[in-house]
Amino acid sequence: MRTQNATAYRFLTPYLLIFAIFWIWPIVSSFMISFQATRTVPWRFAPAFNWGRLIGDPAFYNALTNTLLILVIQVPVMIALAIIMAVLLNSPLLKARGLYRFAFFAPVVVGEVAYSAVFRLMFSLDFGIVNKLLNSVGIPKIDWFSNVTPAMALIMIAVTWRWAGYNAIIILAGLQSIPEDVYEAATLDRVSRVKQFFHITLPLLKPVIVFCAVLSIIGTMQLFTEPFLITERGGPGGGTETLGLLLYRQGFRSLNFGYASAVAYTMAGLAIAITLVQLWLMREPK
Amino acid sequence: MAAVTLTNVVKRFGVFEVVHGANIDIADGEFVVFVGPSGCGKSTLLRMIAGLEDISGGDIAIGGKVINDVEPADRGIAMVFQSYALYPHMTVGQNLSFGLRMNGNPKADTERRVRKAAEILRIDELMQRRPKQLSGGQRQRVAIGRAIVREPQVFLFDEPLSNLDAELRVQMRVEISRLHKELGVTMIYVTHDQTEAMTLADRIVVLKAGNVEQIGAPLDLYDDPANRFVAGFIGSPKMNFLSAKIVDTSNSAATIELAHHGGVRLRKPLAEAFPAVGAEVVLGVRPEHFFEAGEGDCDIPVKADVAEHLGSVSYVYANAGPEELIVEREASRQRASGDHFKVSIKAERALLFDKAGARIR
Repeated sequence: MRTQNATAYRFLTPYLLIFAIFWIWPIVSSFMISFQATRTVPWRFAPAFNWGRLIGDPAFYNALTNTLLILVIQVPVMIALAIIMAVLLNSPLLKARGLYRFAFFAPVVVGEVAYSAVFRLMFSLDFGIVNKLLNSVGIPKIDWFSNVTPAMALIMIAVTWRWAGYNAIIILAGLQSIPEDVYEAATLDRVSRVKQFFHITLPLLKPVIVFCAVLSIIGTMQLFTEPFLITERGGPGGGTETLGLLLYRQGFRSLNFGYASAVAYTMAGLAIAITLVQLWLMREPK
Repeated sequence: MAAVTLTNVVKRFGVFEVVHGANIDIADGEFVVFVGPSGCGKSTLLRMIAGLEDISGGDIAIGGKVINDVEPADRGIAMVFQSYALYPHMTVGQNLSFGLRMNGNPKADTERRVRKAAEILRIDELMQRRPKQLSGGQRQRVAIGRAIVREPQVFLFDEPLSNLDAELRVQMRVEISRLHKELGVTMIYVTHDQTEAMTLADRIVVLKAGNVEQIGAPLDLYDDPANRFVAGFIGSPKMNFLSAKIVDTSNSAATIELAHHGGVRLRKPLAEAFPAVGAEVVLGVRPEHFFEAGEGDCDIPVKADVAEHLGSVSYVYANAGPEELIVEREASRQRASGDHFKVSIKAERALLFDKAGARIR
């Protein structure tokens, strides 16, 4: 058995080496860097330098607030939308289901730059179709890029558009795993379709919904593309700057790797904490 | 309690007709079993009675009232599904009371009904458990309990024991039988297992390819099947069929020559129809109706292939020319593969079928 294990590990060595060099080492290294002052060369060990700054940095709190705001509003809305889409996709009354499934999933495979450019065009103040539509129903034009609230809304709309369909497909798989005879039993029990949805479908979908929510929380904590490309590096005036963007700005614009690492670990820690709380709240009763 | 009547009931899925005009009368309080091979339409018939499938033609009446267009919940039926169809996220107690709670039934009445069902099925101690914490038999009891709390006029069972092991199946079969006696309600039970049908039913409806082949009491079907299909389907091990030819008809009897047994002949008294001389027929003999050599009207030599010794009885799978026969013999415990012996057929215990499978009486 030991010989077998040794042989297995020998075969795994190339992968383990690459994994250690490109995954484990950067994780360990960046964690150590977060305890170093990296604004001057040579870097020196100063535990309070980055972590101390983090606690009192208004830019960090701004990014944190923006990230959590997006998380609190966008994730539940997107999951709710994904559930509705999945239920519609699962309806036997729907024709050309395959086409709709593809259409809902398509945003994920569209290039991030391309979709951001299209969103910028669609929400453009003077030429965008969104403002034209709003105007046509008597709502005045909105300057989506110059005011913080519309800019945040735009980020949420974009992220929702991109990921709702993806989550809907996952939830659809969960829906299709619920046996039909459970609904038939409920029908014989005179339970209406609406009550069936709330008392049978939703509880049975809980594990899938939790899975989607965890994925979405992790994704939102890392949110970067949309505020970088759509609202032009977290504009207006940092109004849509997220933790991901702050990390990028500190690490790759100011080359302050120590602080960027501290931000990165804060993001990871928050994502883990929120996920754990959520898993605890959604745990199966014993 | 209520009678159930099916009149010319037809079911089509698109252009495919799967039930071809079924006519079945089920009396109030009767236990009727629909039996047949897979795809014969028995579950479809049951689901039409439940209202889970639309009826393409004909009428279904419960308690004298045609219920073709009545909602499933308003038909006065309760159904037990093959897969139990329990709500996996609810406790046993919640499973039992779910339908009543959703419909605003008074709490006290709901509790009374749940308690009564739990007592009948002896599942009182399982009330706080979830379905995944139950064994197959316990799940099935809960599924039956959920039907009982509805206090239906008719119980429908759709292969409820299929997912249980052999021992549990026997135990649950007895419990269902006891339940029927206790509640005295009309029960319609679907199975492909003829043993279940024989042991549970007041009457059996044998179905084949969407047609009702025969309706009758279990032993009537066993002793007096209407055709070769029913004769072969009812009874375990199944009836043996031997190819034969009519060589003479006279004096209210036909002389039959077995095709593969060296010209052995048998004279079979007939009451109704006389097939033409030379007509090809099939002789049906149940495994227990083979006698010791010389005891019957004709003997045929066989060679034992495999012997199954079940203790009280043995089944010998024997080759008789190109035909394989199953012979039940109490005295066959010592029979081994390769043994040659003779079995005897009594004309009165053999059934005659024409080439199309219809019974010749």
